[in-house]
Amino acid sequence: MYKFSYGNLKEYSRLLSAFVAAEKQKGLAVEVGNDLGIKVTLSTLLGLKGTDQDQVAVLVQIASRSQLPFENAENKVVWSGWFCCISGDDLLESVPEDFTCLSLFLANGAESYTAIVGSWFQKTFDCYFSRLTISPLNLAWMAAMWTGCKVDSHMAATELVFSVPCIPQSLDISYAIHSEDAKALWDTVQKTPGEVTQEEVNLFMDCLYSHFHRHFKIHLSATRLVKVSTSIASAHCDGNIKILHSKHLIGVLTLLTELAISQIQ
Amino acid sequence: MDETVAEYIRRTVLKIPRCQIMEMLTMWEFLSKTQLQTINVHQLKERISQAVVELCEVITSIVNDQIVSNSHNFVFTISGIFSCITGEETDSFNLADFKYKFKRSLRSALKNVTINFREYEDNAIWIRIAWGTQYTKPNQYKATYVVYHSQTPYVFISSLRSSIPLLCQALVHASNYHDIHEMELRSRCIDSLKDIVFKRYSQTFQTYHPRPLQERNVAPEKVDPRIIQENKREKERIQSVNQEIFGEGLQPKIEFAQYKLETMFKGEPEMDILTEKEPFRCVVKFSSPHLLEALKSLAPAGMADAPLSPLLTCIPQKARNYFKIKERKGILSASCLGP
Repeated sequence: MYKFSYGNLKEYSRLLSAFVAAEKQKGLAVEVGNDLGIKVTLSTLLGLKGTDQDQVAVLVQIASRSQLPFENAENKVVWSGWFCCISGDDLLESVPEDFTCLSLFLANGAESYTAIVGSWFQKTFDCYFSRLTISPLNLAWMAAMWTGCKVDSHMAATELVFSVPCIPQSLDISYAIHSEDAKALWDTVQKTPGEVTQEEVNLFMDCLYSHFHRHFKIHLSATRLVKVSTSIASAHCDGNIKILHSKHLIGVLTLLTELAISQIQ
Repeated sequence: MDETVAEYIRRTVLKIPRCQIMEMLTMWEFLSKTQLQTINVHQLKERISQAVVELCEVITSIVNDQIVSNSHNFVFTISGIFSCITGEETDSFNLADFKYKFKRSLRSALKNVTINFREYEDNAIWIRIAWGTQYTKPNQYKATYVVYHSQTPYVFISSLRSSIPLLCQALVHASNYHDIHEMELRSRCIDSLKDIVFKRYSQTFQTYHPRPLQERNVAPEKVDPRIIQENKREKERIQSVNQEIFGEGLQPKIEFAQYKLETMFKGEPEMDILTEKEPFRCVVKFSSPHLLEALKSLAPAGMADAPLSPLLTCIPQKARNYFKIKERKGILSASCLGP
């Protein structure tokens, strides 16, 4: 982002509020003086960084006041999004001055708000938003890495969802493996704890494909992996992420930051 | 008329899109032509539904002729009824007797229940049951639908609920059978379920000696001779094997199949990594708007081997789409150990 200043967050909040309100009112016949009750706040999230060099994360929240007269005039958060960059410094080339680099943006809430906020940031700071698409290769990495994570509480199954292309009727295959068994398989594949290689991920996936083929005679490798779900987090190829375990938040965000940066370059 | 029934009719009419209201009301057949003509479909929907309710107030028999139109929204489970031959020929099916016995059996167990019957031409009896409890009136919004073909030992039930044992008991009693058990077959499309259990789809016959491909005298196409179709023989083999397994006609329409696998992990010989003695537990779910057609097209598309695994192809023959597969000593086969 060009000429983004952490000191001006209050000013940005005010400008963005006005922008969101204006966008929401477009096309509506609005009486003069009618207030949609939308308030936007920008603030910093101090704990959300991987290394000290990372830029401070920025949280954007849209709160809306209920319009009905007899309800409490409380502000309810209807949308939130935040910018962050976790351990991105070694991946990014030196960033010129005047530029702040927060490569990962996560949004939670109505798609319309996401679009409005995105367009304001793009106009104001000359940056660019695009959806993070995750390739089957990266999804397979996530499946392997997250299956291997130790979780103290109850572990959910490792689920892989495949979509079959090129046939007249669409077909989805969900392959869910019991968490202990999946972890046992990954543990025998992984040679050095803490290190994951492409060969290991490939072997893990090939084992799963082969067990499946033995039963159903279907080559899962010819289908498209579209979603991965584990106890840690779940990820869909169109960029929808669910983070389920707070202990591993930074780990997941690091991975996503890496993907985001590689998509920029 | 009962307020809950009136309210139910009002809400049902509100849900129908305006352009279909007249059609639906005509289909329901409890309002006469003159009554239908008095309804103005161009006014506010609220007013339309109110008008319908008012017309229904006049007819006391409304409760006996309920709407059974949205059958495509339900997921039907099949329950099979087993008949036990007692030695004497049972009389031809008596509908009035069946209805009486069914109502009596259900009502003796539960006072607050609404039961409606409707007969169709193909000997199908549709029963709509709205369940209440000892203290509450029947909930008209979560009714169970039962379809019984009197000439067959099969009953189709929409949505499994806790009241199923009562329902089964009533069915057994009314139909003079001895027992009823649930089959592992579920689908949204009741016609497909019927196709499968009544064996109305084009069946295949197992061939143990595959025939060699026959040469056919086909006039050669005017194609550039330099273009060769790769693996032509393999493609033909796949087509012929597929045909043998799936048959010629359209497959019955089911939307999903689920397999609970508890077999030992075994990959390719070179990846014999897991030396665990425990089974590798997984659950595989296939879903598609038309599952069997999709599976049929996998081998020709190159994504599966031909012949496809019997675990998948046995679905219509075995009339089930929920399986539990355990390891079997020796060769893995489609051993379906289920309840």
